[in-house]
Amino acid sequence: MQIFISFILAIISSMLIDNVVLSRFYGICPFLGVSKKVKSSLGMGIAVVFVILLATVICWPLYNYVLVPAGIAFLDTVVYILVIASLVQLVGLFIKKYSPSLYKSLGIYLPLITTNCAVLGVAQGNTDQGLSFLDSLANGLGTSIGFLLIIVTFSCIRTRLDSANTPKAFKGLPIALVTAAIMAIALMGLQGLFSGIKL
Amino acid sequence: MAKEKGFTKKNFLKGIVVENPLFVSILGTCPALATTKTVEAALGMGLLFTVVLICSSVLVSLLRKLISEEIRTPAYIVIIATFVTIVKMMTSAFLPELYSTLGVFISLIVVNCIVLGRAEAYASKNTVFDSFIDALGMGVGYTLAIILMAFFRELIGTGAFSFGKIFTFIPAFKLQIIPVGYEISLFQNPAGAFIVFAIILAVIAFINNRKNELKTNLERQAKIKKQQEAKLKAEQEKAKQVAEGETK
Amino acid sequence: MSQGAYIAIGVIVIVALLAIFIISFILYRRTPVPKGCEDIKISEENCSSCGHTECQFYKKKDAEE
Repeated sequence: MQIFISFILAIISSMLIDNVVLSRFYGICPFLGVSKKVKSSLGMGIAVVFVILLATVICWPLYNYVLVPAGIAFLDTVVYILVIASLVQLVGLFIKKYSPSLYKSLGIYLPLITTNCAVLGVAQGNTDQGLSFLDSLANGLGTSIGFLLIIVTFSCIRTRLDSANTPKAFKGLPIALVTAAIMAIALMGLQGLFSGIKL
Repeated sequence: MAKEKGFTKKNFLKGIVVENPLFVSILGTCPALATTKTVEAALGMGLLFTVVLICSSVLVSLLRKLISEEIRTPAYIVIIATFVTIVKMMTSAFLPELYSTLGVFISLIVVNCIVLGRAEAYASKNTVFDSFIDALGMGVGYTLAIILMAFFRELIGTGAFSFGKIFTFIPAFKLQIIPVGYEISLFQNPAGAFIVFAIILAVIAFINNRKNELKTNLERQAKIKKQQEAKLKAEQEKAKQVAEGETK
Repeated sequence: MSQGAYIAIGVIVIVALLAIFIISFILYRRTPVPKGCEDIKISEENCSSCGHTECQFYKKKDAEE
């Protein structure tokens, strides 16, 4: 029970309090780039969730059971980027071959995930902080769901922003960034939510 | 390939102004927002980034005839990841303060779109020297851009500039500009980073809009002038013809 | 196991990863696009400015220059 509660708390804290986009600044590029339409942002978000989970499950054992015993832990970044890039290609290959309908909605976003900071950032952060496997999994799950949540919310706001009467210089990206700032302030209010809970 | 005079200078300067990776192409935004709490950290980040960019560009350019078209992207990713690992180890050995400040963002240079983008778009097609100059220009442009962001964030957020905390080989000193108690600490938070970036982009858009307006205005004026001249000419000719007819 | 064996395993794993990556990359490029998906395009409307070089949109933009 104790483990279960701490697992849930870890997910929520990495999802909302320490949100991947708005307080850790991973994955700003797709956050700004692929958020003009709700549909495309949903596709990108789901693809990111999938790849982050797979990458977390593969990278953690690889680091702790292969790289550390061999004494080549300094090669972690190279190994992680290789794992992520081949994962992306393999998943893309699978989808391309067996599921045209899935390819239609996710296919174009998959190759972009290789250079999404969030995936490498989560894998690297898990081992840099020395988290256990369960904590890494919670971190990966929370981070990816947080990304999905924020990018979809943001795209919903952005579709409304298009019809708003903004000053000419602020049209497009600047007003979107101001919106992101306001969302970041809103999430700042959640800080210290679990500070009273002791486990 | 014949080059025009001043090509090298132009090639260097384009990365700083016309094609600034951060403010014009909007690339590499993650470290630009995350590591700009202080000017010193931004300078360190820009330095490491420039080193990786130059090294990978030069190596990619050297190997551009050896790497086949088919496996270009994997090869570039491995090259960049190797240089990032080298830079990371060097930083942790010689500048441990910088290493602990930047944290995971040193590793994230691997997935920075600028490095891979320059390797694919420029270094894979051009000579070693040109790629070096291009990478240097882009690196300096990016460094200046994030220093500009850090300048505003540190100035408004803490009211002072402090040096010597990360680059420990220079004596530590603090330059108080805004009196204590008048700083807006929001600018040290994530929200402040977004606001500063938004305002800088808006200023750039404003200047560009102004330039375009001036240009279109000038063009319109020139057009009107031309039309008037043509009209005048036609009238004169008409008058001439009438006069000729009368004399006949 | 001795340290040497661990190092050998580590090197083998890295080389294997590299091989998997390159093979999957080539396979992905050679697999034809499924029917009915040929006309998917990333337009300026729903995507902009992430500059990934594998992206169709970016390639198109690059070619225009």
